[in-house]
Amino acid sequence: MHIAEGFLPPLHAAAWTVAAAPFVVHGVVRLNRQLRENPEAKLLLGASGAFCFVLSALKIPSVTGSCSHPTGTGLGAILFRPPVMTVLGTITLLFQALLLAHGGLTTLGANAFSMAVVGPWAGYGAYALTRRLGGGLLVAVFAGAFTADLVTYCVTSAQLALAFPDPAGGFAGALTKFGAIFAVTQIPLAVSEGLLTVLVVRLLRSTSAAELIRLRVLKEGGVAS
Amino acid sequence: MLAIDAAAYRSPWRRRHPAAKAVLAGTLLLCALVLPPWPGAPITAAIALAVALGWARVPPRAFLRSARAPLAFIVTGSLTFLVSVDTSGLTWAPGGAARAGEVIGRCVAAVLAQLLFAMTTPLADVLPRLARRRGLAGLAEVAGLVYRMLSVVLETVDAVRRAQADRLGALSWRARWRSVTGLAAQVFVLSFERARRLEDGLRDRGYTGELAVSVGPLPLRGRFLALAPLPGVAAAVLTVALSLVPGLG
Repeated sequence: MHIAEGFLPPLHAAAWTVAAAPFVVHGVVRLNRQLRENPEAKLLLGASGAFCFVLSALKIPSVTGSCSHPTGTGLGAILFRPPVMTVLGTITLLFQALLLAHGGLTTLGANAFSMAVVGPWAGYGAYALTRRLGGGLLVAVFAGAFTADLVTYCVTSAQLALAFPDPAGGFAGALTKFGAIFAVTQIPLAVSEGLLTVLVVRLLRSTSAAELIRLRVLKEGGVAS
Repeated sequence: MLAIDAAAYRSPWRRRHPAAKAVLAGTLLLCALVLPPWPGAPITAAIALAVALGWARVPPRAFLRSARAPLAFIVTGSLTFLVSVDTSGLTWAPGGAARAGEVIGRCVAAVLAQLLFAMTTPLADVLPRLARRRGLAGLAEVAGLVYRMLSVVLETVDAVRRAQADRLGALSWRARWRSVTGLAAQVFVLSFERARRLEDGLRDRGYTGELAVSVGPLPLRGRFLALAPLPGVAAAVLTVALSLVPGLG
């Protein structure tokens, strides 16, 4: 769910841009350091960004029978880590706004905050916690992708509720309203995205173990790190 | 190539400097956001549409086709303003229709201004110029690489999809799941394979970390730059003037 161009009042759009900025700057600093130490990583990051764009445009069969788009933030965070995903996610959102008219330039900050900052960090947190608690790689991947998707939509609901409080119920009423609407579509979609991500990682483990080792998702010998 | 980018490459404004086009579309975008929705939004939308189709000569069919999806999302998203939630449950929101109308109006004007920029300015003209700015070089270079790899990856996606459809990969729910996971994994593998081959090729050519791209000179013409803010200024003046007319403002 991208917030469309012009949907947020100007003050809200500016405030979310300010909120997302430190995370994007932190990501850019980490990215620049990584590129100084390892200039070849630039090409890998370019490929990763293109992969993230395509991933968010894939149509997955939804539990309700229709098609939906995954956010791709969970898989991105697991593969590339949240700070890099913040930068790649923001670039992806900018490209979606300018190449697909999906999302907007004035709402880029709000969309980046939910999809490139909170979603990846929450997803990676769920993934890392599941691994630490002794969960298998695929269980952790499901937890990461499911959480990233759902948290992204929860943040979007909160952003919309803050911008458009309910005339009767205020912020809480609006949050209930937007949350309830999203829940109908998003809980099945989060489950679908979790399953899709598990299947993708399972396939990658057998076809691209070297890349997963390079990205530190797997240890040498194919063991989940 | 994506439809919006293809239109931007064919645009008669392709040789205009991206900064001047950003001023033009940015002023209109600002008007869409800050002017009172009535009559500001319809005036800004009408001026953005006139500039896009008349002055920038964006093909009308391509413009409307690109605007269709975001506008549909905006209309369906605004339906939520019609209802209200409180302790008694779901009720019709007082003033909900007016609020939905205001948001739709503002969004339509903003989307048209955004499309005006996107359909006249290829990203390939913007990113190398951003890469020259201090502090943005690394980010703009990665964004430029993403952009270049995107065309190749999207072609791969099309080819894989066609191959899957030919093998009846969309026939059942189970087959669709298998196809979409196979597609995602295939794109990952091919993207990384291409990156590795590019890396090898560049290393053989003595790659030092700089990916300088030759950008054709685009002069920042004074006349176009001076005219660029005028559509936005016209929208603001017209809105203020109409707001003063009794019964309209």
